[in-house]
Amino acid sequence: MNQAELILLLVKIWGGVGACVALGFLTFGIDRLDEDARGAYVFRLLIIPGVLLIWPLVLWRWYVLAGGKDLWARRYQPRRNSHRVFALIMPVLIVGIIAVGWSVRQTWPVDVAPVQLSEPGQ
Amino acid sequence: MSVKYIPVQWNRNKWFYDLVMLIGVVAFLVLFLFVSPDLLSHEFPINPQVHNARAFGACAFVMLTVILCIGPLARIDTRFLPLLYNRRHFGVMTTFVAITHASYILNWYFSFSKSDKFSALLFANTSYTQLAGFPFEAFGIFALICLLILAATSHDFWLKFLTPPVWKSLHALIYVAYIAVVAHISLGILQDQQNHVFTLIFIGGALAVAVLHAYAAWLDWRGGDEVATQSEGWVEICGPADIKNGFARIKLMPNGDRVAVFNQDGKLSAISNACAHQNGPLGEGRVISCLVTCPWHGFQYDVTNGRSPAPFTEMVPTYNLRLTDGMIQVDPEANPPGTYVEPVAIPGWKEVPA
Amino acid sequence: MSNQDKPFFVGYLDIPGSLRRFLVLACLVGTGIFVATGLLIGSTQDEPAASGFRFDYGRQTVTGVIELTPYPLLRVTQGNDLIKPGKTLMLSGQGKFGVDAQAMGLEGGLVEVTGIILQRGTIDMMQLAGGRRGMKMVDGDAPDMETEPLGRWKVAGEICDGKCLNGAMRPGRGLAHKACAALCLVGDVPPVFVSTQPIEGSDFMLITGPDGTRLPKAAYDHIGQFVSAEGDLERRGDMLVLKLDAETIEVIDG
Repeated sequence: MNQAELILLLVKIWGGVGACVALGFLTFGIDRLDEDARGAYVFRLLIIPGVLLIWPLVLWRWYVLAGGKDLWARRYQPRRNSHRVFALIMPVLIVGIIAVGWSVRQTWPVDVAPVQLSEPGQ
Repeated sequence: MSVKYIPVQWNRNKWFYDLVMLIGVVAFLVLFLFVSPDLLSHEFPINPQVHNARAFGACAFVMLTVILCIGPLARIDTRFLPLLYNRRHFGVMTTFVAITHASYILNWYFSFSKSDKFSALLFANTSYTQLAGFPFEAFGIFALICLLILAATSHDFWLKFLTPPVWKSLHALIYVAYIAVVAHISLGILQDQQNHVFTLIFIGGALAVAVLHAYAAWLDWRGGDEVATQSEGWVEICGPADIKNGFARIKLMPNGDRVAVFNQDGKLSAISNACAHQNGPLGEGRVISCLVTCPWHGFQYDVTNGRSPAPFTEMVPTYNLRLTDGMIQVDPEANPPGTYVEPVAIPGWKEVPA
Repeated sequence: MSNQDKPFFVGYLDIPGSLRRFLVLACLVGTGIFVATGLLIGSTQDEPAASGFRFDYGRQTVTGVIELTPYPLLRVTQGNDLIKPGKTLMLSGQGKFGVDAQAMGLEGGLVEVTGIILQRGTIDMMQLAGGRRGMKMVDGDAPDMETEPLGRWKVAGEICDGKCLNGAMRPGRGLAHKACAALCLVGDVPPVFVSTQPIEGSDFMLITGPDGTRLPKAAYDHIGQFVSAEGDLERRGDMLVLKLDAETIEVIDG
């Protein structure tokens, strides 16, 4: 098996586990955790892709909420302070990446002529 | 606001928002796909699959660029907040456009070989140690995965389930995705392109995102919320006359939380500044029909107990407060969400006619 | 902090009157951005090289001698109106496949090939029809074919796959096309080198490794880049073949 096939196998395993988590979570877990979900079924179809992608996060939140370990204060601590980091790193990276991309860009070397280095048989 | 989840909550403004967005996207694609070939009039035209891939790829880039400009614009000028309101639909649409781009590429460049196209995508170019000729597809794959995660977790259920701070952190992936898209283009089509119109649009768009974010961050850094001073375990906010009726004063408390103190008809109440929905700044909202209304998505709360009106169930923490020597003071220890706190009347308060 | 003068937008309520004009303007600017960029980007795409499948010529059948360089070449001995004797054709299968399997054991033999022409200026490649229709041995003596050595050369240009370069894909070269070209080469489609300036009247040549080997994998890293490289050049009919030394590949500055 080559590396590409290995990566694809891991993706399939990730999705397979996600499908199992989605099945359990959407058929019985969600009703216990979120009263707004009780009796609401159509929206669960929209939730499936999310569970497939981030099932470890789903399992973690499920564990926290089911065990009553959720700290309410955390819900009200916005991420806005860390946002400043993104707002500053992103411009630097954007400019840097474009500059690098442009600097390695080649133009067709039309002036570089082919050269015969030696005659046949030499 | 949630009562029972439904797939998509619509209202007139959302319909209108989506309509304008769709008109823009459809116009872009129609012009690129169907009008531009005639304008180009190439004797040997670009393969339709490549032309389509370019149309959807360029469209996704423009969409992503516009989306990323909305946030800083709304922080610079609050009149842009309506563009923030339904941004998630814009994002989901972008994901679909990006998937279309990827599938045209996959079904053209990476098909017709003896290998499975997904594995071909991963092994065809492995020059990871060089810049020119780098497998720029990897950046595209990464950005697409980010977009898929964002689109798949855009339902309000995820906000409540993951909590707004975790959800917002997850959705900060959009910045990483955009950087990856910039790299995807810089090491991809930018290397080959001879006509530099797209180059200019690309650099202009990416720089707009960069500059707007830097400028908004600078504004926030210069004029952010004031830090409250502490006195005997209480934090001082301001004098009661400094808060207009129906509005709030926000203070950053020493513990890092923000409190919003509202004046509602001469009575003061303090609630968390973070909305239960997306942690929007409640203190930048205002009281409408006796309810504090979030400037981001219009979630409403009774300011005395931090509860959304029935049948809604959202709640925010409240704070105990008092008036001492003409100064509003707040107990920095928040009450659990939904706790009633008796409002403090401003002595001698009279409504100033508008 | 908000104040009374500023309009306040609530998504599920009517838009405040003072905000309407601004939002109409924002909608117009927003759609304007999409209209302008769609039209501008779409109508300024680079023109691909004049090349492509010539389905309009119909299926062609010619006879010739198979040479393995190791990539199979057909030296045409009995042509038709379009493909004259003396012509040398690179061969490919359908999709990203070479014709090594069909040509195996036929080296030096006389075969009849049938397929669709790929044309980039001159005709240099044929995509064979599937199965035995594509290539079959025919009776008759295969004439000896001459190979003319042209000495050692240092060439400048780009490594591509011969099929996409000849118009199977438009555009069919460059770095954005690198992975596709590599996939073609992995599938034994003949690799070619596009020269900055014509050599002996030709602006491209089939490339192989030294001593009858395939193009070394080390060269794959430089597909689509502008490079210089050295190798022994030879002429087979009207086709140049460069036996490339991968160690001599250098990326050209600028």
